[in-house]
Amino acid sequence: MASNGLILQNVTKKFGGLLAVDKLNLTVEEGQIYGIIGPNGAGKTTVFNCITGIYKPEEGSINWQGEEITGMSPNNVVGRGIVRTFQTIRLFGQMSVAENIMSGRHYKSRQGWWNGIVHTPGSARDEKENWLKVGELMDFFDLRQFAATPAKSLPYGIQRRVEIARALAVEPKLLILDEPAAGLNDKETLDLVETIFRIRDRGITVLLIEHDMDMVMTLTDYLTVLNFGRKIAEGTTAEVQSNPEVIEAYLGSEDEEDE
Amino acid sequence: MKVLNRSGYVLFLLVILLAPLGLNSRWMAVGTTFLIFSVVALSQDIILGKGGMFQMGHALFFGLGAYMTAILNMSYHVPVLWTVPVAIIVPALFGIVLAGPIVHLRGDYLLVTTIGFNIVFVQTLQNNVFNLTGGPNGIFGLDSIHIFGYDLSSQTDIYYLSFIVLLVTFAVMHNLETSKAGRALHYLREDNLAAESIGINTRVYKIFAFGLGAGLAGLAGVLYAMQYSAVSPDAFNFLQSVLFFSIVIVGGSSIPGVLIGVAIMFVLPEVFRQFAEWRYFIFGFAMILAMILRPKGIWPAKFGKIPAYLTKE
Amino acid sequence: MEIFFQQLVNGLTIGSIFALVALGYTMVYGVMKLINFAHGDLVALAAFVGLTLYEQVLGRSVSLFSVIVIFVLSSIIIAMVGVLLERIAYRPLRDAPRLSAVVSALGASMVIENGIMLLWGARMRFFPADLLPSLSWTVGGVVVSFVQLLIFVLSCLLMIALYFFIDKTKIGTAIRASSIDQDAARLMGINVGSIIIAIFVIGSALGAVGGLFIGFYYRGINFGMGWNYGLYAFVAAIIGGIGNIPGAMVGGLLLGLFKAFIAGYISSSWADAFTFILLIVILIVRPTGILGERVAEKV
Repeated sequence: MASNGLILQNVTKKFGGLLAVDKLNLTVEEGQIYGIIGPNGAGKTTVFNCITGIYKPEEGSINWQGEEITGMSPNNVVGRGIVRTFQTIRLFGQMSVAENIMSGRHYKSRQGWWNGIVHTPGSARDEKENWLKVGELMDFFDLRQFAATPAKSLPYGIQRRVEIARALAVEPKLLILDEPAAGLNDKETLDLVETIFRIRDRGITVLLIEHDMDMVMTLTDYLTVLNFGRKIAEGTTAEVQSNPEVIEAYLGSEDEEDE
Repeated sequence: MKVLNRSGYVLFLLVILLAPLGLNSRWMAVGTTFLIFSVVALSQDIILGKGGMFQMGHALFFGLGAYMTAILNMSYHVPVLWTVPVAIIVPALFGIVLAGPIVHLRGDYLLVTTIGFNIVFVQTLQNNVFNLTGGPNGIFGLDSIHIFGYDLSSQTDIYYLSFIVLLVTFAVMHNLETSKAGRALHYLREDNLAAESIGINTRVYKIFAFGLGAGLAGLAGVLYAMQYSAVSPDAFNFLQSVLFFSIVIVGGSSIPGVLIGVAIMFVLPEVFRQFAEWRYFIFGFAMILAMILRPKGIWPAKFGKIPAYLTKE
Repeated sequence: MEIFFQQLVNGLTIGSIFALVALGYTMVYGVMKLINFAHGDLVALAAFVGLTLYEQVLGRSVSLFSVIVIFVLSSIIIAMVGVLLERIAYRPLRDAPRLSAVVSALGASMVIENGIMLLWGARMRFFPADLLPSLSWTVGGVVVSFVQLLIFVLSCLLMIALYFFIDKTKIGTAIRASSIDQDAARLMGINVGSIIIAIFVIGSALGAVGGLFIGFYYRGINFGMGWNYGLYAFVAAIIGGIGNIPGAMVGGLLLGLFKAFIAGYISSSWADAFTFILLIVILIVRPTGILGERVAEKV
């Protein structure tokens, strides 16, 4: 039992009469790239929302590095080292790329609210340090040229990079990616795969939802498959691929994104 | 654009600095009120423009500051200078306490609760609570302010005092924009959920915005009290709040925008005083037109102000 | 005990007026998510229009015919002004940020209020005391006037009629659909533009009736009175659940009662303060209002 990872036990989420997530158990070990897959509407994003505090599950518990985080507010979850990206990309549209990534430094910044009124040498130093970190991330993601460009005016693929850069700015221990390849072309997807490997190399655990099966097969160490809110299979990609229940769930609603 | 901006500021400062040489007493009064209202409007911009919170009761904090000075000076004979910290801190505390239970409300509901707070405040003043607030006619006959032994009671004195306070406000606004707290306000305004999900405790910063905006408005209130040596409930009622609200939206959420907003919403009607009755009728049309033509305000906020060393390769 | 029943009567009267005015706010907010700040001024305009009809057009003739003409013509005129208001101040801002529409509404309010002042002057004007029968009955120490009874009964009839209209007719259903999701309603073939005109017609007409009631009941009217009633009526709409038509009716009556009881038991100079404290408490405790709101949630 890895007490250093993310452990979901019996997590259940209902919306009125709808059972969106049904007694889900899963364990993500530190340093893994873990995938959650399943047909549309299977409850995958809901699971993410429960982990990151947007929803509070009706039953069950969520444990991260030995601490119970069930029902914590989103900004407190970030404080525990967990950051997520959104399926629909929620960047701060009017603001520039650099400012967007800088928002990721908010948690790490040591400024107090009074620095909003009066600067101190300490706060000035903090500003510089954080902007420089933003610069590093922009270089890592090849975004330097867009530093002052408003985020919403950028192509989708670049916005995705900005969102991941923003998430990394928090220096998370667990990065949760919700369909990061959605809307990306083949080249961009390959770049994304490489980026995620590099992220894992930095010691960050990755949990992702993805529909692109090639990407899932390449990237993930371990998978959980959801259908109608329930886990129907788990295992390595090879094990899951040959699982008849999984095949049936997908045959019902095929997601042919490639070819 | 940066050169234009900087020279614009210098020009503005020069005009304000030298204006008293050419203005008669009526226009000096208008000029002073322009400066005071600019401080209030900028403080409102913190909550409404940067924080994106629908605040339509800001005159409450303006009035709290003014009344703090008036009550302390009149009933307790506190020298006006000593009332200044109180006139900042008490409204700031009110801002924090009142914001607490309401900042999570949806936009229009927040709007109505702030209107409510303003109305409760004004009615409390009118009812001469604890025999301190002076009733519908307010409190008059206040002392002038004494700084370093100088008695600053002339119109020109108040004008320059207000100018200094405006400069301080400019500095605070600049500090806010280049700080973690200021950016947090922008983020939570753009997308509250995304801001929470990146680690920002949006509630804390919303309350901070209210506190800061209230404190600054309170400071402006002291100036107002000194300008007239009197305070009255009508000066801080809901219609005044509507004015400050409109200034920020019509002018735009930027320092030039707010200054333009005050010039349009306050100075312009003064210019057309001779058209007395028709003033506000036409003014209403002007507001509608301004929104249709420039929905984001005449000089909206601009983003992308990042340190130069970031954009150099 | 007399105070209680007297305030009950007063409260239901003023509450009926609040309810009529509140309906205009709630219908517009439900579909357009806009606080029509100019609505209160339309109510005031109705009172002045009605008075002018009486004085100039009807030659101050005291008759049932006069009363009917005043109510019907004023409502039609105000309905037309309402449609004009939407066309000029709101329609161009359909896609603009919400706060811009709010400022436009404030501007429109200024236009109408000052328009009234320019046309009718700044002094207070008075409705005739004898156009409606000045009967009254005293029941157990409680005075009920004919006007009060008329206001309450007519308002109830109008509200019942509106309720059936919204619930049973095709247009009513279209209005309810547009309140829930404008885009979906459009996709279903509903001409949302026409629906918006319809709600402004209905809301303004009801507000006009309310304005005339204010004139007949309080007799004194002035150009600035729109804001007082407007703000109260909006509070009533929120208390009942914004966008919820039965809610506006309930909210209006409850608020009228509340105001009357505060005036009766505490003091009328605290009525505003207490009303808004009540509103703030309700919003903190039950933000969707008593009957629940009916507004599309933009997620």
